[in-house]
Amino acid sequence: MSVNEKFSAIRKGLLEFLVLKIIAAEKVYVADILKQFSATEFTTQEGTLYPLLSKMRREGLVDYEWKESEAGPPRKYYQLTAKGRDQLRETLDYWGKISGTVKNLGQK
Amino acid sequence: MNKVITINLGGTAYQLEEGGYDTLRTYLETAAARLQGNPDRDEIMSDIEQAIGEKFRALLGSHKTVVITREVAAVLDEMGPIEDDSGAGADPRAGEAKARAETGESGPAQTERPPGQMGAPKRFYRIKDGAMLAGVCNGIAAYFNIDPTLVRLAFILLLMVWGTGVLVYFVLAIVVPKARSPEEKAAACGEPFTAQEFIRRAKEGYYGAMKDFPDRKARREWKRRFKQEMRANRDQWRHNWHRYWSESGDVHPRAGIALPLLSVLHGAAAILWGCALISLLATGAVFGIVLSSIVPIWIAVLVMLIAYKIFVWPLKAARRVCYYGYGRPRWASPFVFMLDALIWLAVMAVLLWLGSRYLPQLGEAIRNIPSVAHDAVHQIRQWWTGK
Repeated sequence: MSVNEKFSAIRKGLLEFLVLKIIAAEKVYVADILKQFSATEFTTQEGTLYPLLSKMRREGLVDYEWKESEAGPPRKYYQLTAKGRDQLRETLDYWGKISGTVKNLGQK
Repeated sequence: MNKVITINLGGTAYQLEEGGYDTLRTYLETAAARLQGNPDRDEIMSDIEQAIGEKFRALLGSHKTVVITREVAAVLDEMGPIEDDSGAGADPRAGEAKARAETGESGPAQTERPPGQMGAPKRFYRIKDGAMLAGVCNGIAAYFNIDPTLVRLAFILLLMVWGTGVLVYFVLAIVVPKARSPEEKAAACGEPFTAQEFIRRAKEGYYGAMKDFPDRKARREWKRRFKQEMRANRDQWRHNWHRYWSESGDVHPRAGIALPLLSVLHGAAAILWGCALISLLATGAVFGIVLSSIVPIWIAVLVMLIAYKIFVWPLKAARRVCYYGYGRPRWASPFVFMLDALIWLAVMAVLLWLGSRYLPQLGEAIRNIPSVAHDAVHQIRQWWTGK
């Protein structure tokens, strides 16, 4: 089993957290999110992202508004809700703890 | 020169080559099926259509107005398969599948996977198509992807060693289920079942004219197109399969124990039936019931056969269910069959030992087997050389 395959579950689990983090910075459009992911280990495709965003919207973490684009039809721009911000804060805290643990465990 | 079809994606018209249209349509249909039960299905579908539309627009210019088939396939590849693991409450197991399904590495840069890595899990079935006897060798050959003739030769070689080949063959013929449906046949060879897609299309009359090809060229052209589209769908179907098996794997955790038990019951019934048949033919009585002289013997045999079938049917059905439930880890199915076959052999051995000990006739018969076999071989050889 390659490293890539082994950690796919981890990457998948982190995807929602990272989407929250990206959306928190500014109002974004799906192609922007994909672009930010594309340079990382979290390369993602529309086929995954659209269902994920709709699930997050259903859970009340994100919301969107339609914005006109220069060329073509209006686009959905996503932003965080208050609940989404809370969850992001909690997850960031938790992530800090986890990465601390990963660093410290096994060291004398 | 190719036909062009105009479609509407998110309110804008696009012109696609016919082959590309078919590919796109399959993609969207698969996506809609995947999102079955998702409350936001329509919204996600329209998002996806719009995203595809935008990718098409990026390809087009003032002198290029048609999206060609290859470009459609590339765009859909970029989109990736629809992965809906929100489950939407429709499927409680979807959450578990979430951890198992792989998405992270499906980016455009990493779409090249080693073949078979994501393919449907193989299962061990008997395959009757092109079989010599019960399809055991055929099934083994398909499972390990080797020539069935080699497997048959191996069995014949085993036959030389105390007839082990025959014994193993019969045990496998009884224990291993037969691949009946096309899905099972596909699973036996580890092929993704793209034929399913074919049937669906045939039903839709998608290829309405495919039956009457005017000439060979048209037929070849149709085949070429069909193959091309199957290639486009293959990944989607592979993924479906993968997901399907990974979800159904947890259904029967106790199946590993139940399967050999059921096999033993089944085998005991078979032995009982064999004994009853021998007793009927030899003495005209079954379990102390003496056959009346009016009833012809073949009717008695037929009645016994039907009774046996009725008795064994639920056992068979239960074993089948267990087999299905026990498919998830790939190594498990052959392992379980080995265990199953071993237990079966052990029960047979114990029964034979008991029989030879307490039934003098049976003991005599067993001791006579070598000489009978020798005679039979001798006769066959005579017949062969005589011809």
